[in-house]
Amino acid sequence: MVEPQDLASIHAEIDGELDDRQRAELARRLLADPQLRALRDELKRVCGAVESLPWVEPPPQLRTNILAALPPVTARVKPARRAAQWSFTPAWRLAAVFAGVLVAGTVLFEAGVDRGPAATDVAGTLAGSGVRAPATVDTVKLDLGEVAGQASLYRAAAGLGLELELVASAPVEVLVASGGQTMRIKGLGRPDSPGGPRTAIALPGVGTPGQTVDLTFLIAGRQVGAATLKVPEGR
Amino acid sequence: MRRCRDGDRKAFDWLITRYQKPVYNAALRMLRNPDDARDVAQTVFLKVFEHLSQYDPKSKFYSWIYRIALNESVNALGRAKPFEAISGNEIDQAPGPERQVESEQANSAIERALMQLQPDHRAVIVLRHLQHLSYQDMGDILELPERTVKSRLFTARQLLRDLLVKGGVV
Repeated sequence: MVEPQDLASIHAEIDGELDDRQRAELARRLLADPQLRALRDELKRVCGAVESLPWVEPPPQLRTNILAALPPVTARVKPARRAAQWSFTPAWRLAAVFAGVLVAGTVLFEAGVDRGPAATDVAGTLAGSGVRAPATVDTVKLDLGEVAGQASLYRAAAGLGLELELVASAPVEVLVASGGQTMRIKGLGRPDSPGGPRTAIALPGVGTPGQTVDLTFLIAGRQVGAATLKVPEGR
Repeated sequence: MRRCRDGDRKAFDWLITRYQKPVYNAALRMLRNPDDARDVAQTVFLKVFEHLSQYDPKSKFYSWIYRIALNESVNALGRAKPFEAISGNEIDQAPGPERQVESEQANSAIERALMQLQPDHRAVIVLRHLQHLSYQDMGDILELPERTVKSRLFTARQLLRDLLVKGGVV
Protein backbone atom coordinates (compact mmCIF):
# COMPACT_ATOMS: atom_id res chain seq x y z
CA MET A 1 0.00 0.00 0.00
CA VAL A 2 1.47 3.33 -1.09
CA GLU A 3 1.31 6.11 1.47
CA PRO A 4 -0.37 9.34 0.25
CA GLN A 5 2.68 11.32 1.35
CA ASP A 6 4.95 9.16 -0.80
CA LEU A 7 2.63 9.51 -3.77
CA ALA A 8 2.60 13.30 -3.38
CA SER A 9 6.41 13.25 -3.28
CA ILE A 10 6.57 11.25 -6.51
CA HIS A 11 4.30 13.72 -8.31
CA ALA A 12 6.29 16.62 -6.90
CA GLU A 13 9.49 15.00 -8.12
CA ILE A 14 8.05 14.57 -11.63
CA ASP A 15 7.18 18.26 -11.62
CA GLY A 16 10.62 19.26 -10.36
CA GLU A 17 9.18 20.64 -7.14
CA LEU A 18 11.37 18.83 -4.60
CA ASP A 19 14.33 20.43 -2.88
CA ASP A 20 17.53 18.47 -2.21
CA ARG A 21 16.44 17.23 1.20
CA GLN A 22 13.05 16.06 -0.06
CA ARG A 23 14.65 14.37 -3.08
CA ALA A 24 17.07 12.49 -0.83
CA GLU A 25 14.23 11.39 1.43
CA LEU A 26 12.24 10.13 -1.57
CA ALA A 27 15.31 8.26 -2.91
CA ARG A 28 15.66 6.52 0.44
CA ARG A 29 11.98 5.52 0.41
CA LEU A 30 12.22 4.29 -3.20
CA LEU A 31 15.21 2.11 -2.39
CA ALA A 32 13.34 0.53 0.45
CA ASP A 33 10.06 -0.06 -1.38
CA PRO A 34 10.03 -1.81 -4.81
CA GLN A 35 6.28 -1.22 -5.19
CA LEU A 36 6.77 2.49 -4.72
CA ARG A 37 9.67 2.43 -7.17
CA ALA A 38 7.56 0.64 -9.80
CA LEU A 39 4.78 3.16 -9.38
CA ARG A 40 7.20 6.07 -9.75
CA ASP A 41 8.65 4.55 -12.93
CA GLU A 42 5.19 3.99 -14.43
CA LEU A 43 4.09 7.54 -13.69
CA LYS A 44 7.27 8.89 -15.25
CA ARG A 45 6.70 6.79 -18.35
CA VAL A 46 3.09 8.02 -18.56
CA CYS A 47 4.20 11.64 -18.42
CA GLY A 48 6.92 10.98 -20.98
CA ALA A 49 4.43 9.26 -23.28
CA VAL A 50 2.02 12.19 -23.15
CA GLU A 51 4.82 14.66 -23.73
CA SER A 52 5.93 12.68 -26.76
CA LEU A 53 2.64 13.41 -28.54
CA PRO A 54 3.58 15.59 -31.50
CA TRP A 55 2.26 19.06 -32.06
CA VAL A 56 0.10 19.21 -35.14
CA GLU A 57 0.16 22.02 -37.67
CA PRO A 58 -3.17 23.86 -37.78
CA PRO A 59 -5.02 23.60 -41.12
CA PRO A 60 -3.56 26.13 -43.56
CA GLN A 61 -6.93 27.81 -44.08
CA LEU A 62 -7.53 28.41 -40.36
CA ARG A 63 -5.88 31.83 -40.30
CA THR A 64 -7.63 32.93 -43.50
CA ASN A 65 -10.98 31.73 -42.20
CA ILE A 66 -10.54 33.63 -38.95
CA LEU A 67 -9.57 36.84 -40.73
CA ALA A 68 -12.49 36.46 -43.13
CA ALA A 69 -14.93 35.99 -40.26
CA LEU A 70 -13.87 39.05 -38.27
CA PRO A 71 -16.60 41.66 -37.99
CA PRO A 72 -15.93 44.87 -39.90
CA VAL A 73 -14.11 47.47 -37.82
CA THR A 74 -16.63 50.19 -38.62
CA ALA A 75 -19.39 48.05 -37.15
CA ARG A 76 -17.64 47.57 -33.83
CA VAL A 77 -19.52 48.79 -30.82
CA LYS A 78 -17.96 50.67 -27.93
CA PRO A 79 -16.40 48.23 -25.44
CA ALA A 80 -18.74 48.87 -22.52
CA ARG A 81 -21.78 47.91 -24.57
CA ARG A 82 -20.34 45.10 -26.63
CA ALA A 83 -20.85 42.25 -24.19
CA ALA A 84 -24.52 43.00 -23.85
CA GLN A 85 -25.18 43.57 -27.52
CA TRP A 86 -23.16 40.71 -29.06
CA SER A 87 -24.82 37.66 -27.72
CA PHE A 88 -25.19 35.89 -31.05
CA THR A 89 -23.75 32.49 -31.74
CA PRO A 90 -20.65 32.44 -33.99
CA ALA A 91 -22.77 31.25 -36.90
CA TRP A 92 -25.08 34.24 -36.58
CA ARG A 93 -22.12 36.54 -36.28
CA LEU A 94 -20.70 35.17 -39.52
CA ALA A 95 -24.05 35.58 -41.19
CA ALA A 96 -24.27 39.18 -39.99
CA VAL A 97 -20.79 39.94 -41.30
CA PHE A 98 -21.59 38.29 -44.60
CA ALA A 99 -24.84 40.22 -44.94
CA GLY A 100 -23.00 43.47 -44.25
CA VAL A 101 -20.39 42.73 -46.88
CA LEU A 102 -22.99 41.81 -49.43
CA VAL A 103 -25.11 44.90 -48.84
CA ALA A 104 -22.02 47.07 -49.24
CA GLY A 105 -21.19 45.16 -52.40
CA THR A 106 -24.61 45.79 -53.85
CA VAL A 107 -24.49 49.50 -53.20
CA LEU A 108 -21.05 49.86 -54.73
CA PHE A 109 -21.84 47.62 -57.64
CA GLU A 110 -25.06 49.42 -58.44
CA ALA A 111 -23.36 52.79 -58.23
CA GLY A 112 -20.84 51.67 -60.79
CA VAL A 113 -23.20 50.28 -63.40
CA ASP A 114 -24.87 52.70 -65.79
CA ARG A 115 -27.94 50.65 -66.52
CA GLY A 116 -28.40 48.33 -63.58
CA PRO A 117 -31.02 45.68 -63.21
CA ALA A 118 -34.30 46.28 -61.43
CA ALA A 119 -34.05 46.41 -57.65
CA THR A 120 -35.71 43.02 -57.35
CA ASP A 121 -32.96 41.45 -59.42
CA VAL A 122 -30.21 42.51 -57.07
CA ALA A 123 -31.94 41.78 -53.80
CA GLY A 124 -29.29 40.66 -51.37
CA THR A 125 -26.36 41.92 -53.36
CA LEU A 126 -25.95 39.90 -56.24
CA ALA A 127 -26.16 41.24 -59.71
CA GLY A 128 -28.80 39.46 -61.76
CA SER A 129 -27.59 36.93 -64.26
CA GLY A 130 -28.42 39.32 -67.14
CA VAL A 131 -25.87 41.89 -65.98
CA ARG A 132 -22.51 41.92 -67.77
CA ALA A 133 -19.35 43.11 -66.10
CA PRO A 134 -18.55 46.50 -67.64
CA ALA A 135 -14.85 45.84 -68.52
CA THR A 136 -13.08 42.63 -67.66
CA VAL A 137 -9.43 43.12 -66.68
CA ASP A 138 -8.48 39.56 -65.72
CA THR A 139 -10.21 36.20 -65.92
CA VAL A 140 -9.35 32.73 -64.74
CA LYS A 141 -11.15 29.56 -65.78
CA LEU A 142 -11.91 27.23 -62.90
CA ASP A 143 -11.76 23.50 -63.29
CA LEU A 144 -11.28 22.33 -59.71
CA GLY A 145 -13.11 19.03 -59.87
CA GLU A 146 -15.91 19.88 -57.50
CA VAL A 147 -16.15 23.48 -58.68
CA ALA A 148 -16.10 24.75 -62.26
CA GLY A 149 -16.71 28.07 -63.96
CA GLN A 150 -14.76 31.28 -64.03
CA ALA A 151 -13.72 34.23 -61.90
CA SER A 152 -13.17 37.69 -63.35
CA LEU A 153 -11.98 41.06 -62.21
CA TYR A 154 -13.86 43.89 -63.90
CA ARG A 155 -13.54 47.62 -63.86
CA ALA A 156 -16.62 49.76 -63.21
CA ALA A 157 -17.10 53.44 -62.46
CA ALA A 158 -16.88 52.82 -58.70
CA GLY A 159 -13.69 50.76 -58.95
CA LEU A 160 -12.86 47.13 -59.40
CA GLY A 161 -15.32 44.32 -58.89
CA LEU A 162 -15.20 40.57 -58.79
CA GLU A 163 -17.51 38.38 -60.81
CA LEU A 164 -17.84 34.71 -59.99
CA GLU A 165 -19.68 32.27 -62.18
CA LEU A 166 -19.60 28.93 -60.43
CA VAL A 167 -21.19 25.56 -60.87
CA ALA A 168 -20.84 22.99 -58.11
CA SER A 169 -22.67 20.05 -56.62
CA ALA A 170 -22.73 21.63 -53.16
CA PRO A 171 -22.75 25.20 -51.85
CA VAL A 172 -19.38 26.84 -52.29
CA GLU A 173 -17.79 29.28 -49.91
CA VAL A 174 -15.27 31.69 -51.40
CA LEU A 175 -12.65 33.53 -49.37
CA VAL A 176 -11.45 36.64 -51.13
CA ALA A 177 -8.16 38.13 -49.93
CA SER A 178 -6.34 41.15 -51.28
CA GLY A 179 -4.12 43.85 -49.79
CA GLY A 180 -4.60 42.58 -46.24
CA GLN A 181 -8.39 42.64 -46.57
CA THR A 182 -10.49 39.51 -46.64
CA MET A 183 -14.13 38.69 -47.22
CA ARG A 184 -16.16 35.54 -47.29
CA ILE A 185 -18.97 34.79 -49.74
CA LYS A 186 -21.15 31.81 -48.94
CA GLY A 187 -23.74 29.72 -50.70
CA LEU A 188 -22.46 30.06 -54.27
CA GLY A 189 -22.39 27.59 -57.11
CA ARG A 190 -25.92 26.25 -56.90
CA PRO A 191 -28.59 26.88 -59.53
CA ASP A 192 -30.80 28.20 -56.73
CA SER A 193 -28.15 30.62 -55.44
CA PRO A 194 -29.47 34.18 -55.14
CA GLY A 195 -28.88 35.84 -58.49
CA GLY A 196 -28.27 32.54 -60.29
CA PRO A 197 -24.81 31.10 -60.96
CA ARG A 198 -23.24 34.54 -61.54
CA THR A 199 -22.30 36.75 -58.60
CA ALA A 200 -20.77 40.21 -58.79
CA ILE A 201 -19.38 42.12 -55.87
CA ALA A 202 -17.42 45.35 -55.50
CA LEU A 203 -13.87 45.26 -54.18
CA PRO A 204 -13.27 48.63 -52.52
CA GLY A 205 -9.59 49.39 -52.09
CA VAL A 206 -8.47 47.01 -54.83
CA GLY A 207 -7.06 48.51 -58.01
CA THR A 208 -3.35 49.12 -57.64
CA PRO A 209 -1.57 47.87 -60.77
CA GLY A 210 -0.06 44.46 -60.08
CA GLN A 211 -2.26 43.89 -57.02
CA THR A 212 -3.48 40.32 -56.68
CA VAL A 213 -6.81 38.96 -55.49
CA ASP A 214 -6.54 35.50 -53.97
CA LEU A 215 -9.58 33.26 -54.07
CA THR A 216 -9.95 30.15 -51.94
CA PHE A 217 -12.85 27.82 -52.66
CA LEU A 218 -14.30 25.66 -49.89
CA ILE A 219 -17.06 23.11 -49.70
CA ALA A 220 -18.28 22.21 -46.21
CA GLY A 221 -15.22 23.92 -44.73
CA ARG A 222 -12.82 21.89 -46.88
CA GLN A 223 -10.57 23.65 -49.34
CA VAL A 224 -11.22 22.38 -52.86
CA GLY A 225 -9.10 24.81 -54.83
CA ALA A 226 -7.66 28.27 -55.19
CA ALA A 227 -7.12 30.86 -57.88
CA THR A 228 -5.48 34.25 -58.20
CA LEU A 229 -6.56 37.25 -60.24
CA LYS A 230 -4.27 40.18 -60.91
CA VAL A 231 -4.85 43.83 -61.65
CA PRO A 232 -2.91 44.47 -64.87
CA GLU A 233 0.23 46.60 -64.70
CA GLY A 234 -0.03 50.08 -66.16
CA ARG A 235 -3.83 50.31 -66.21
CA MET B 1 -2.43 44.26 -27.94
CA ARG B 2 -3.46 47.91 -27.93
CA ARG B 3 -3.41 47.91 -31.73
CA CYS B 4 -5.59 44.79 -31.75
CA ARG B 5 -8.06 46.51 -29.46
CA ASP B 6 -8.17 49.44 -31.85
CA GLY B 7 -9.31 47.03 -34.56
CA ASP B 8 -5.94 46.80 -36.34
CA ARG B 9 -6.30 43.64 -38.42
CA LYS B 10 -2.61 43.36 -39.17
CA ALA B 11 -1.89 43.29 -35.44
CA PHE B 12 -4.62 40.69 -34.97
CA ASP B 13 -3.21 38.70 -37.88
CA TRP B 14 0.11 38.59 -35.98
CA LEU B 15 -1.75 37.41 -32.88
CA ILE B 16 -3.36 34.59 -34.87
CA THR B 17 -0.01 33.57 -36.34
CA ARG B 18 1.57 33.57 -32.87
CA TYR B 19 -1.15 31.63 -31.04
CA GLN B 20 -2.96 29.49 -33.61
CA LYS B 21 -0.72 26.48 -33.11
CA PRO B 22 -0.93 26.23 -29.29
CA VAL B 23 -4.65 26.98 -29.33
CA TYR B 24 -5.33 24.45 -32.09
CA ASN B 25 -3.22 21.79 -30.36
CA ALA B 26 -4.87 22.36 -26.97
CA ALA B 27 -8.27 21.97 -28.62
CA LEU B 28 -7.12 18.94 -30.59
CA ARG B 29 -5.93 17.16 -27.45
CA MET B 30 -9.14 18.01 -25.66
CA LEU B 31 -11.36 16.88 -28.54
CA ARG B 32 -9.19 14.58 -30.68
CA ASN B 33 -11.23 15.45 -33.76
CA PRO B 34 -9.30 17.78 -36.11
CA ASP B 35 -12.44 19.36 -37.58
CA ASP B 36 -13.80 20.16 -34.13
CA ALA B 37 -10.41 21.51 -33.06
CA ARG B 38 -10.32 23.76 -36.11
CA ASP B 39 -13.83 25.07 -35.37
CA VAL B 40 -12.94 25.66 -31.73
CA ALA B 41 -9.74 27.50 -32.67
CA GLN B 42 -11.69 29.73 -35.04
CA THR B 43 -14.30 30.47 -32.39
CA VAL B 44 -11.57 31.22 -29.84
CA PHE B 45 -9.97 33.89 -32.03
CA LEU B 46 -13.32 35.44 -32.90
CA LYS B 47 -14.14 35.62 -29.18
CA VAL B 48 -10.74 37.12 -28.46
CA PHE B 49 -11.31 39.77 -31.12
CA GLU B 50 -14.79 40.49 -29.84
CA HIS B 51 -13.84 40.68 -26.17
CA LEU B 52 -10.38 42.23 -26.34
CA SER B 53 -11.72 45.19 -24.41
CA GLN B 54 -12.31 42.85 -21.46
CA TYR B 55 -8.76 41.54 -21.42
CA ASP B 56 -6.80 42.79 -18.42
CA PRO B 57 -3.25 43.62 -19.61
CA LYS B 58 -1.97 42.88 -16.09
CA SER B 59 -2.65 39.18 -16.63
CA LYS B 60 -0.89 36.97 -19.15
CA PHE B 61 -2.50 36.94 -22.57
CA TYR B 62 -1.84 33.23 -23.08
CA SER B 63 -3.65 32.43 -19.82
CA TRP B 64 -6.66 34.29 -21.14
CA ILE B 65 -6.65 32.67 -24.58
CA TYR B 66 -6.09 29.18 -23.14
CA ARG B 67 -9.01 29.70 -20.77
CA ILE B 68 -11.24 30.55 -23.73
CA ALA B 69 -9.85 27.59 -25.69
CA LEU B 70 -10.53 25.12 -22.88
CA ASN B 71 -14.03 26.48 -22.25
CA GLU B 72 -14.86 26.27 -25.95
CA SER B 73 -13.42 22.76 -26.12
CA VAL B 74 -15.59 21.63 -23.23
CA ASN B 75 -18.61 23.18 -24.95
CA ALA B 76 -17.70 21.39 -28.17
CA LEU B 77 -17.45 18.04 -26.40
CA GLY B 78 -21.22 18.05 -26.13
CA ARG B 79 -21.56 18.10 -29.88
CA ALA B 80 -18.47 16.05 -30.77
CA LYS B 81 -18.37 13.76 -33.80
CA PRO B 82 -16.81 10.29 -33.70
CA PHE B 83 -13.06 10.44 -33.26
CA GLU B 84 -10.77 10.47 -36.28
CA ALA B 85 -7.16 9.48 -36.36
CA ILE B 86 -4.87 12.43 -36.73
CA SER B 87 -3.15 12.18 -40.09
CA GLY B 88 0.57 11.49 -40.03
CA ASN B 89 0.95 14.10 -42.77
CA GLU B 90 0.03 16.78 -40.29
CA ILE B 91 2.67 15.80 -37.77
CA ASP B 92 5.67 18.06 -37.36
CA GLN B 93 8.50 15.54 -37.42
CA ALA B 94 8.16 12.43 -39.52
CA PRO B 95 10.38 9.48 -38.49
CA GLY B 96 11.14 6.49 -40.76
CA PRO B 97 8.25 4.30 -41.96
CA GLU B 98 8.52 1.51 -39.34
CA ARG B 99 9.10 3.81 -36.43
CA GLN B 100 6.33 6.01 -37.71
CA VAL B 101 3.83 3.15 -37.59
CA GLU B 102 4.88 2.21 -34.04
CA SER B 103 4.88 5.80 -32.98
CA GLU B 104 1.45 6.42 -34.48
CA GLN B 105 0.06 3.34 -32.72
CA ALA B 106 1.46 4.49 -29.40
CA ASN B 107 0.22 8.03 -29.96
CA SER B 108 -3.20 6.72 -30.87
CA ALA B 109 -3.33 4.66 -27.66
CA ILE B 110 -2.34 7.69 -25.59
CA GLU B 111 -4.93 9.85 -27.35
CA ARG B 112 -7.61 7.24 -26.67
CA ALA B 113 -6.63 7.04 -23.01
CA LEU B 114 -6.70 10.83 -22.73
CA MET B 115 -10.19 10.86 -24.18
CA GLN B 116 -11.33 8.45 -21.49
CA LEU B 117 -10.50 10.96 -18.78
CA GLN B 118 -13.05 13.47 -17.62
CA PRO B 119 -12.56 16.85 -19.36
CA ASP B 120 -11.37 18.44 -16.09
CA HIS B 121 -8.65 15.84 -15.75
CA ARG B 122 -7.77 15.94 -19.43
CA ALA B 123 -7.40 19.72 -19.25
CA VAL B 124 -4.75 19.60 -16.51
CA ILE B 125 -2.78 16.95 -18.41
CA VAL B 126 -2.93 19.02 -21.59
CA LEU B 127 -1.83 22.20 -19.82
CA ARG B 128 0.97 20.57 -17.85
CA HIS B 129 2.39 17.96 -20.21
CA LEU B 130 1.61 19.34 -23.65
CA GLN B 131 1.68 23.08 -23.06
CA HIS B 132 4.28 22.81 -20.26
CA LEU B 133 2.65 25.41 -18.03
CA SER B 134 3.40 25.97 -14.35
CA TYR B 135 0.94 25.23 -11.55
CA GLN B 136 0.41 28.96 -11.17
CA ASP B 137 -0.40 29.50 -14.86
CA MET B 138 -2.68 26.48 -14.79
CA GLY B 139 -4.44 27.95 -11.77
CA ASP B 140 -4.90 31.26 -13.59
CA ILE B 141 -6.32 29.52 -16.64
CA LEU B 142 -8.62 27.18 -14.74
CA GLU B 143 -9.41 29.80 -12.09
CA LEU B 144 -8.47 27.36 -9.35
CA PRO B 145 -6.09 27.57 -6.37
CA GLU B 146 -2.71 25.96 -6.99
CA ARG B 147 -3.32 23.21 -4.45
CA THR B 148 -6.50 22.20 -6.31
CA VAL B 149 -4.57 22.19 -9.58
CA LYS B 150 -1.93 19.93 -8.04
CA SER B 151 -4.42 17.55 -6.57
CA ARG B 152 -6.36 17.36 -9.85
CA LEU B 153 -3.17 16.81 -11.82
CA PHE B 154 -2.04 14.01 -9.51
CA THR B 155 -5.41 12.30 -9.82
CA ALA B 156 -5.41 12.71 -13.61
CA ARG B 157 -1.95 11.15 -13.88
CA GLN B 158 -2.96 8.19 -11.75
CA LEU B 159 -6.05 7.59 -13.87
CA LEU B 160 -4.06 7.89 -17.06
CA ARG B 161 -1.44 5.52 -15.71
CA ASP B 162 -4.13 2.96 -14.86
CA LEU B 163 -5.50 3.18 -18.41
CA LEU B 164 -2.11 2.98 -20.10
CA VAL B 165 -0.84 0.16 -17.90
CA LYS B 166 -4.05 -1.77 -18.55
CA GLY B 167 -3.64 -1.16 -22.29
CA GLY B 168 -0.01 -2.31 -22.17
CA VAL B 169 1.24 1.04 -23.42
CA VAL B 170 3.63 1.76 -20.52
